Amino acid sequence: MSTSKIIVDDLTFRYPGSDEPVLRNANVEIGSEEFTAIIGGNGSGKTTLCKAFNGLIPHFFNGTFEGTVSVNDTVTTESDVSALSRTVGYVFQDFENQLVQPIVRDDVAFAAKNHGLEDYQTRAMDALEAVGLGDAADRFIWELSGGQQHLVALAGVLAMEPEFIVVDEPAAQLDPHNARETYEQLRTIQRDTEVGVIVIEHHTEFIADYCDRLAMVVDGDVAWTEPVDVGLNRVEELLAADIHPPQVTQMARQLPEGHGTLPSGRYPVTVEQAVDAFPTVASTGGRRATPDGSGTGERLIRVEDVTHGYPTLREGRKTVLDSLDLELHAGDRVALVGANGAGKSTLLRLLTGLESPDDGVVTVLGNDTNETLPEETVYIHQNPEEMFVEETVREDVAYYFENRDDPDVDTRVDDVIEFLDLEELADRDGRLLSIGQQRRASLAIGLATDPTVVLLDEPTGSLDLQSRREVTRMLSRSATRTETVVVATHDLQLVAEWADRVVVLGPGGILADETPRSMFEQPELLAQAHLRPPQVVEVSDRLGIDPPALTTSGIVDRLPTQEGR
Amino acid sequence: MGYLDALRNITIADIKVDLMRTAYDNDDALLNKFDPRIVIIWSAIFVVVPWFFYEPEPLFVMLVASLLLAYLSKTSIYLLGLLIWGSLSNIGFIVILSSVVYWWQGGSGGLRGAVVDNSVALLPFTMKLTVISIVSLAAFSAMSPKKLAKGMLGLGIPRPLTFAIAYGYRMMPVLLEEYHDLVNSLRLRNKAPENRGLLRWRYYLYLLKLSIEAFYPMAFNVAKRSRVTVEAMETKGFSHSLGDEDSRRLRLGSLEILPRDVTFMLVSLLFVVVVAVFL
Repeated sequence: MSTSKIIVDDLTFRYPGSDEPVLRNANVEIGSEEFTAIIGGNGSGKTTLCKAFNGLIPHFFNGTFEGTVSVNDTVTTESDVSALSRTVGYVFQDFENQLVQPIVRDDVAFAAKNHGLEDYQTRAMDALEAVGLGDAADRFIWELSGGQQHLVALAGVLAMEPEFIVVDEPAAQLDPHNARETYEQLRTIQRDTEVGVIVIEHHTEFIADYCDRLAMVVDGDVAWTEPVDVGLNRVEELLAADIHPPQVTQMARQLPEGHGTLPSGRYPVTVEQAVDAFPTVASTGGRRATPDGSGTGERLIRVEDVTHGYPTLREGRKTVLDSLDLELHAGDRVALVGANGAGKSTLLRLLTGLESPDDGVVTVLGNDTNETLPEETVYIHQNPEEMFVEETVREDVAYYFENRDDPDVDTRVDDVIEFLDLEELADRDGRLLSIGQQRRASLAIGLATDPTVVLLDEPTGSLDLQSRREVTRMLSRSATRTETVVVATHDLQLVAEWADRVVVLGPGGILADETPRSMFEQPELLAQAHLRPPQVVEVSDRLGIDPPALTTSGIVDRLPTQEGR
Repeated sequence: MGYLDALRNITIADIKVDLMRTAYDNDDALLNKFDPRIVIIWSAIFVVVPWFFYEPEPLFVMLVASLLLAYLSKTSIYLLGLLIWGSLSNIGFIVILSSVVYWWQGGSGGLRGAVVDNSVALLPFTMKLTVISIVSLAAFSAMSPKKLAKGMLGLGIPRPLTFAIAYGYRMMPVLLEEYHDLVNSLRLRNKAPENRGLLRWRYYLYLLKLSIEAFYPMAFNVAKRSRVTVEAMETKGFSHSLGDEDSRRLRLGSLEILPRDVTFMLVSLLFVVVVAVFL
């Protein structure tokens, strides 16, 4: 089968109304026989570049466009978006908003129908089968999980039998388990049908596991394209663009010369390679018993025999939490983990008192939440947009005090803004900030109230390295202002670095309640909760380091090197 | 306090599910079984018909029939309740106002008589309004969004409009979710009145205030979402489809008027004739 090519030749593009071009003399050539990843820092122009492939640039965003982009023999400026999209399919980062019909089958067939293709029904069904959603054809879009919705968007693109598929940051909006599923699908599609797959991605661990080629975008130009193994070894350049190299690569760099490299002289980029490259350790003895992480402080929250669910359209009331018991103490840093739908967010909402349990009692700071909304509790929404109700971040932070006629609103607001280094964002509209800035601002809105209990839903979701680091730092800092922090998360790196107690929720209730370390020692437990341990833990396990290391420096210290130890 | 507690326990989640049921779960609904074009024309006729009757009896029969239809079409009980409450309170207000004025002017029969007289006088009008509201609610909530859009397209309504309807249905659950989240976010940061007042009226007023306040941020967030949707529509060939004959033919493909559609129309008209002649 002949391969197709996208060729970008000396492309410069400037959005209307902006002075600086987003792309400057960019050149790149992408073939359909490969799985290509495009990486680059925030604002480097990677999304703009990809939108030039299907003609959205310059047909939809008419800015200043110089140079040429061609897909096979078609020059994009001489065609239009509809026609180009039949060759280059695009799955947006906000894929939910790409789904425009209520029923799955109709949405997948939508483009084919628009183009008047007689076989639209077979195309839709074939595409749904290809992504493994054949059974869901007649379901409503809104009944599907985020991961399934992403696959529907992908199927909608596949139904047009394109030669290329562009997927914008699949891992940003999906939990790690679903992101991995999506990558598996993309890999299979690419191998079986020779459709070129292009992903925009900054999770290098996915890139290492699934992609063939890596293109790095710096300042509006494609700085280089390399095979993935080689590209991910350009660690300095990646770090300069705020991109995390895979944990194993970072470990290898920290090991003394000659200890962490592959025979080729390169650093490993996957766990497999790392196990080959790293020196093995003699067994460090039996497992240590670890106490559970519950603190000894004063009891702040008590959940007694709580059963709670929600009404559904067709299956009656669905129970999410079933006779759950839990106690949280002052000083706890609790991580709530578990598969999607295990009830993490439901439990947090019960703790806020916004919902009353169907059965059982939730007591927060001595008050039954059924009677009063606990004032001392703060809930930070998974989607920070829902936290912004005023026109500036400052007004949003002040909102709580204004409602209580607090005499020194201004000092208290200034105090929080300064505490969280938000001065430069304070006068902007929260809804227009980047997601990382929104998360920080929403944390400020929460902390302003001097809460005793802080509940955060997915605080590190869809953040790049820099923002992630800042949120983690803020979490640690907020400990000085609050008694207890509960975080619902999929991010096991955050759990490893921050939490001292992990509650694992599963379909049958609490699967485990212990320290992060002891959770990481139980791979079956992680699998049950749809979690994947960070690479450090995986490498520790494969190399026989016991108990497992939780940070890269932790593992580096434990690996035997010639300098002795 | 028993029934007030029950009222309190209707959660937003329940209302959400009920609305969704009205919009989407129409497989068993009576009116969903017919050709959508017939249903649209049918409801257009029945919005006009009640105005040709002036006596309470035939109107009452029609009211009963329309309620039966609403029941068979699984119309949301909340929407129905809201609608009936709306007409009753509206008319009730007119009755009270006019009676007070009548009594003030020294009309005979006193205040009580005036209320009775005015209620009776306004009864046919109230029933007409209620019948047409219930009929159109039943018709439009019984059809699945796809059918409704198809029917309108079949009747020659432009595609951008029919698409907007299908899209509206797609977005409704998202909007409800978003709105609920915003109200909750406001609740957490506001202070509920400590003195709740008689029958908790202060508390309900407070909730009402919050639910109004949540609209503006919702509108803003929706506008943000639609940016991506517009781009995606372009890649899905929507603008291409507007002038494309093949595409239009595919979309209308399966519409056809069956004997049962004709029967349905005839039976309904017969019903009106019977009511007109015998009552």
